[in-house]
Amino acid sequence: MPTSSTDIVFLSAAEQGRLIRDGKLSPVELMQACLARIERWNPVLRAYITVCAESAMAEARTAEREIVAGHWRGLLHGLPFGVKDQLNTKGIKTTLGSRILADNVPDHDAAVIEKLKAAGAILIGKENLHEFGKGGTIDFPYGQPRNPWHLDYNPAGSSSGSGIAPACGFTSGSLGEDTGGSVRSPAAANGIVGLRPTFGRVSRWGGVMYGWTADTIGPLTRTVEDNALFLQAIAGHDARDPLSSTRPVPDYVSALTPGLKGLTLGVVKEMAWPEGVHPEVAAAMKEAIRVMESLGATVTEVSLPRAKYAVPLQLLTSDSDIAAMMLKKWLRTRWHDFDVGTRTRLAAGCLIPAAVYHRAMRGRALVRREVLQVLAGVDALLCPTNLNPPGRIDATKETVDSAEAMQRKVILRRISTYPFSMANVPSLAVPMGYSGKGLPLSLQIAGKPFAEDMVFRVAHAFEQASPWHDRHPVLDNLTVPGDKA
Amino acid sequence: MKLTRDQTRVLAAAAGLEIPDEDLESVTLRVSALLESMEQIEAELGAEMDGVEPVPPVFPREDFD
Repeated sequence: MPTSSTDIVFLSAAEQGRLIRDGKLSPVELMQACLARIERWNPVLRAYITVCAESAMAEARTAEREIVAGHWRGLLHGLPFGVKDQLNTKGIKTTLGSRILADNVPDHDAAVIEKLKAAGAILIGKENLHEFGKGGTIDFPYGQPRNPWHLDYNPAGSSSGSGIAPACGFTSGSLGEDTGGSVRSPAAANGIVGLRPTFGRVSRWGGVMYGWTADTIGPLTRTVEDNALFLQAIAGHDARDPLSSTRPVPDYVSALTPGLKGLTLGVVKEMAWPEGVHPEVAAAMKEAIRVMESLGATVTEVSLPRAKYAVPLQLLTSDSDIAAMMLKKWLRTRWHDFDVGTRTRLAAGCLIPAAVYHRAMRGRALVRREVLQVLAGVDALLCPTNLNPPGRIDATKETVDSAEAMQRKVILRRISTYPFSMANVPSLAVPMGYSGKGLPLSLQIAGKPFAEDMVFRVAHAFEQASPWHDRHPVLDNLTVPGDKA
Repeated sequence: MKLTRDQTRVLAAAAGLEIPDEDLESVTLRVSALLESMEQIEAELGAEMDGVEPVPPVFPREDFD
């Protein structure tokens, strides 16, 4: 049994849920512990834009009464969850991390929020993000999100707060949105698990999802089992999302345990060992391969030579999709209300000629075909989630003042996550160690379309054979003089 | 294709967008880099791109099992 509020908040969501089921932990006690941590440390870490303290406590008391009365709904009943402030919430401000939507209050919940609430989970707050879910925000209107492992370092994005919050015990899990890497990158930088599901697996309805060929919603959690629990709750067909899949949803939790014997895993050489990979990342990747082999997997090297084109192809297409909506709504009239990083990136998306966009969509089909062909020969693909440990906040701002900066800060930085986004296959970030500075390193596991169960199986086996998921950032005495917002 | 700031300004005007001078260089660099990347992709994959449909990869119909 946990003995302190710190112990309670760092239990996995599954463990919290089992204790609540067994009457050994109160949802009220858990919610109070999470809210106390948010109150103390959110002014420094800026994970949340809006905290729903009053409603969350009321719902925790309701959950407690329901469970005591014998109406337990499952392992998420009574657990807090946060969502990226890109997902609409009925009666609760939804800012998209932008000054432009500072007063936006939707009249509906996103489909994924409806589903989590139906499972008994409780919304604790709306999480900070790069403006409009685009990477590259320079100045955050609702405060600079910071990496809890080292405050001077970037927590990555665009679902920044959704990565910070579970890592810090602010919540049992979060939902983020991933177009190119916006769930996996903050999961990696904050030392937790983050899943980009197959496009169509999770309804996009009620999210602001203008990147219509690539936007997905996925969970960020402290363990792989927790991620499976959250995906189980939010997956499935929704007629309100025209691209939602009608495929049946498997039982993800029961798929966790078979282990790796008999599986073949492919290490993508262009994404695992490219020129410029950080030596600590390369060393951790080699150790991850050794662990996989020790668990009985056959690990082989595979090649995705077209992966290098994934970033420009996606920027040429998804950025243009998003920019087209922004141009009509706000870009022409509210230019200076956007962050400079957002507006210059959106403007670039607006200026891509239609003929180039069309050709880039053909290029995307080829990259996707290559990923699917390679996946046909293995059970899952492996590579680092990021080729470098998290960088310093000041050094990772995406100011584009030269052609070299555009290549390094915007294109090359994204090379490890975009190929799987472009193929719209499931891919998951799971901790694989720590750098010499104590910053998280992350392994990425990608699977065939709709094979989230296989991705979880590989990740769970690796996680259970590694010590990394038991580490949590120590927040005592954190202060940032002069932090604003 | 490396754009000039004036070319960017004209492209933006065609989209009904007026980009302030202080942001023009950044937008020009961004668009130029993407267009140059596309030229490389065309050089390597162009012939093959002619043979596929630009169907958005959003609704898989293949047999994945």
